[in-house]
Amino acid sequence: MSDTIIKASGFGKQYGAQVAVQGLDLDVRRGELYGLIGPDGAGKSSLMKAVAGVLSFEHGQLEVFGQLLDSERHAEAIKGRIGLMPQGLGQNLYGDLSIEENVDFFARLRLVPRAEAAARKEQLLAITRLAAFRHRPMKQLSGGMKQKLGLVCTLIHAPQLIILDEPTTGVDPVSRRDFWAILARLIAEQGLTALVSTAYMDEASRFTRMSLLHQGRKLAEGNPAQILQQAPGWIVQCRVEPQLTAMQRLAVCWPQCEAMGPEIRLFVPEADQPAARQQVVDVLQGLECQQLDVLDAELEDVFVAMLGGKQNAATVPVDLLAHTRSELAGRELAIEAKGLGKRFGDFVAVGDVSFQVRQGEIFGLLGANGAGKTTAIKMLTGILPPSSGSGRVAGADMQQAGALIKSRIGYMSQAFSLYLDLSVVENIRLYAGIYGLDRKARDVRLQWILDMAGLHGHENALAAALPMGLRQRLALGCALVHQPRVLFLDEPTSGVDPLGRRAFWDILFRLSRQDGVALLVTTHYMSEAEHCDHLALMFAGRVVADASPQQMKQQVLTEAGQLYRVYADHAAALVSPLQAAGFANVLPYGSALHVLTPDVERLQQVLRTLGVERPPQPRPIAMEDVFVQRVSQLEAQSQGGGQP
Amino acid sequence: MNLQRVLAIASKEWREIVRDRLFFTLAFVVPALLMLLFGYGLSLDVENIPFAVVDHDRSAASRDYAYRFIDSRYFQFRGYAGDERDAAQLIGSGAVRVVLVIPPQFGKTLAQGRPAAIQTLVDGSFPSRAMTTKGYVAAINAAFSLAAVAQAVSHASGLSQQEALAQLTPIALESRYLYNQSVSSIWSLAPKLIMVILMLSPPFLTALGVVREKENGSIFNIYASNVSRGEFLVGKLAPYVAISSVNILLLWLLAVLLYQVPFKGSLLFFLPATLVYVLCTTGIGLLVSVLVRTQVAAMIVTMVVTMIPAVLYSGLIIPIVSLGSGAHVVAQLMPAMYYTDIVVGCFLKGVGLMSLWRPLAVLAVYACLLFAAGYQLFSKRPNI
Repeated sequence: MSDTIIKASGFGKQYGAQVAVQGLDLDVRRGELYGLIGPDGAGKSSLMKAVAGVLSFEHGQLEVFGQLLDSERHAEAIKGRIGLMPQGLGQNLYGDLSIEENVDFFARLRLVPRAEAAARKEQLLAITRLAAFRHRPMKQLSGGMKQKLGLVCTLIHAPQLIILDEPTTGVDPVSRRDFWAILARLIAEQGLTALVSTAYMDEASRFTRMSLLHQGRKLAEGNPAQILQQAPGWIVQCRVEPQLTAMQRLAVCWPQCEAMGPEIRLFVPEADQPAARQQVVDVLQGLECQQLDVLDAELEDVFVAMLGGKQNAATVPVDLLAHTRSELAGRELAIEAKGLGKRFGDFVAVGDVSFQVRQGEIFGLLGANGAGKTTAIKMLTGILPPSSGSGRVAGADMQQAGALIKSRIGYMSQAFSLYLDLSVVENIRLYAGIYGLDRKARDVRLQWILDMAGLHGHENALAAALPMGLRQRLALGCALVHQPRVLFLDEPTSGVDPLGRRAFWDILFRLSRQDGVALLVTTHYMSEAEHCDHLALMFAGRVVADASPQQMKQQVLTEAGQLYRVYADHAAALVSPLQAAGFANVLPYGSALHVLTPDVERLQQVLRTLGVERPPQPRPIAMEDVFVQRVSQLEAQSQGGGQP
Repeated sequence: MNLQRVLAIASKEWREIVRDRLFFTLAFVVPALLMLLFGYGLSLDVENIPFAVVDHDRSAASRDYAYRFIDSRYFQFRGYAGDERDAAQLIGSGAVRVVLVIPPQFGKTLAQGRPAAIQTLVDGSFPSRAMTTKGYVAAINAAFSLAAVAQAVSHASGLSQQEALAQLTPIALESRYLYNQSVSSIWSLAPKLIMVILMLSPPFLTALGVVREKENGSIFNIYASNVSRGEFLVGKLAPYVAISSVNILLLWLLAVLLYQVPFKGSLLFFLPATLVYVLCTTGIGLLVSVLVRTQVAAMIVTMVVTMIPAVLYSGLIIPIVSLGSGAHVVAQLMPAMYYTDIVVGCFLKGVGLMSLWRPLAVLAVYACLLFAAGYQLFSKRPNI
């Protein structure tokens, strides 16, 4: 039997006149965890559905298990051997059915013999730790649990190929890591081949091989190392005073330059490490450079670099005049929460939340699904009255002045509250009308928004016709139409491509620094959390950590030790022996492992006894590692020692 | 066709319907509710018409004339009005729907043997009701005139009034209404309501049930497995047909027990024939569900393709023979008309297969065509 499972040549799919995928070649081999990576609208879903035989296509050829998929009848021939988990959090499951009933339904649908189905169900429910909840209706599960149940249902008939469409979108980092660990284990144990798509670039290193897709075309293909080589360069991360001046100078030379809290991070396309460092130092001449590190580029940087050559419009030109208001930043309090709490009956959604955000500060609110972030934001924006505690937002007391608060803040939600059938200008005018701006003020703000969001030339385009990135910036503009001093952003970048996300953060950065607007952001992209000046981590309705990203990282490093990456042939199989040897923080990471430990020598020893000779590589810790380490620790505590 | 897969789909579907409160209501409560609402709300009988009298004469004859109306069960007397202006106001406000204006000298003119005129003001805002009202007025008026003539004849000829009346009406009209002796509209309405409700409910449930899976993506579980199209459709639709079968019995019981409609035919014919009709309307739902993608669209399309034929082209309100030629052709193309024949035949006429095999055959062919089209258009590998 041939080793090629999926073979596509010149594959193309069109919806009417709209081209979704074009001229795509793909070759997935037995046993691979193959990734399709790209933002919304890159063509991932179309390709995956076609491979699963549930979508017809117009151009090219597609072979799965050596079977040519050219008709509904031929497609039937492969369906017994594949499992498909379509996009959407638990959308293909049945909400009114319990976990067990869902699994049983899939088993019966697939004609799995009763005894075999029962045995496999127990095994899969045990691996995914869902067994304890087997009688709970699916609609009452958390996002992460839904995804795991979806995986169980996809695997119940022991398929040889599984196709998972964005299984981790909308799931918090802890559940995401859990999901990947389970998937890695199942692939290793059951000899599966998997085709998995994701919009999170930081998940790319988990794949054995992958394709980067953008607007229906393949940008690059290979294993993570091969893709990184396609745009050689280094990441320079530095802390320079004054930051704004440094940004302006660096951005002229290297467009891939972004502010992350007090630090600046930029991509220098230069193969030689010392040379890259020297170039940056030269540009920063005369400024006070407090810290400067040169790091490996991440896949997301490479992705942006590859797109950068094709698309220049992404970065907004930096104004040369710093706003005088920025000097005021860091003085007045924009948001102050004191012991905020919210109960729904017996259920405590938010326990005791306190934090402060100053004008001109970017504040990130992180937490797993259901940690209480949305409830906290609803209380602060005056939508939901708190059960206890107090707070001030934009100078008004939230207990008494809900209406006043609403007029002084801006709010942008994940769903981009735009009217898709209205044009860009009509949307802006509508929001101006809602906030009671007069005609003159409205026209001034209209111009400002078009400038800020780079929407010139799209004035009369319907919002529905805009690409995601532009639509998101239009939504931001609408939230800013009345010049609020405080802006709330609830997962503002989900589904937007990395280029769009970077341009967006560029705008947020300048809003905070130049206009002194206070920003409160929630996000599931941990790479974005690094942009914040200050972070609060929520767990089970409480704020469990409140510090800058740097402080948080430092804290984890002091408590759990340095981060090391372990390379091995069968890394996934090393997880349990390492945990048995006393290493608590071991996580699979693509073809490698991430281990947090203060004692690298012992790690090396243990690895040697396990037959791994290559020494573990020290890595700078990322926000995601911090988040996962913190939340796993808290989960272990709340399960172990009686949470009230 | 693998029975285990069909059963898996059917039992999953059944559980979802029973546990989803909205769906459960839609399946079991709404049909009975419609029967009650339409049954009590859509009565076409015109009785107790409120009326007033403007009496400019105030004689024994004018009172006698007015009493003919006051005594009638079709009219309800609301009092005397002062003049025509008051009368117009009463009609305008909706307090009365008919006003009789008796002119001055009414009694005297009649006594002199000359013809007198009565003016009738009828609220014409609801034409069919106004026509019926006018008919009642004319009939009572004719009876009064006849009595007056009979009196004059008996006076002149010395015959008794009875004999004079018999002489004046040599041909007596004896009407006997077949199938609905008291011409009660609910007798004819209730069976037709069964037709309307079974035209609405099964397609709604079916279309929503299938499109719900398309909308939330669970249809991909079907697409991506070896379940055949036939297995899916049978398993998916079986629960809906079962629900509708329960509803057939429920609606039949409501008609017979609550509305006291006599059921003269045989249940052994009526139930299978109704099942064929339900399969036919379920097929409409299936066809809608393969053509649309969202539940909202499914609802609107189902509404349009079922409601209009069920109300306008079925004989519910307007008899098929009274439709215009174009509408007549349209009615022949819709299944509702054929089932109306069956349901009215079973309830009121007591006829069976012998006289109703033709509409039944049409419905059966209709159902087969709809299922064939649905099966053909349903693809496990669509292009969107």
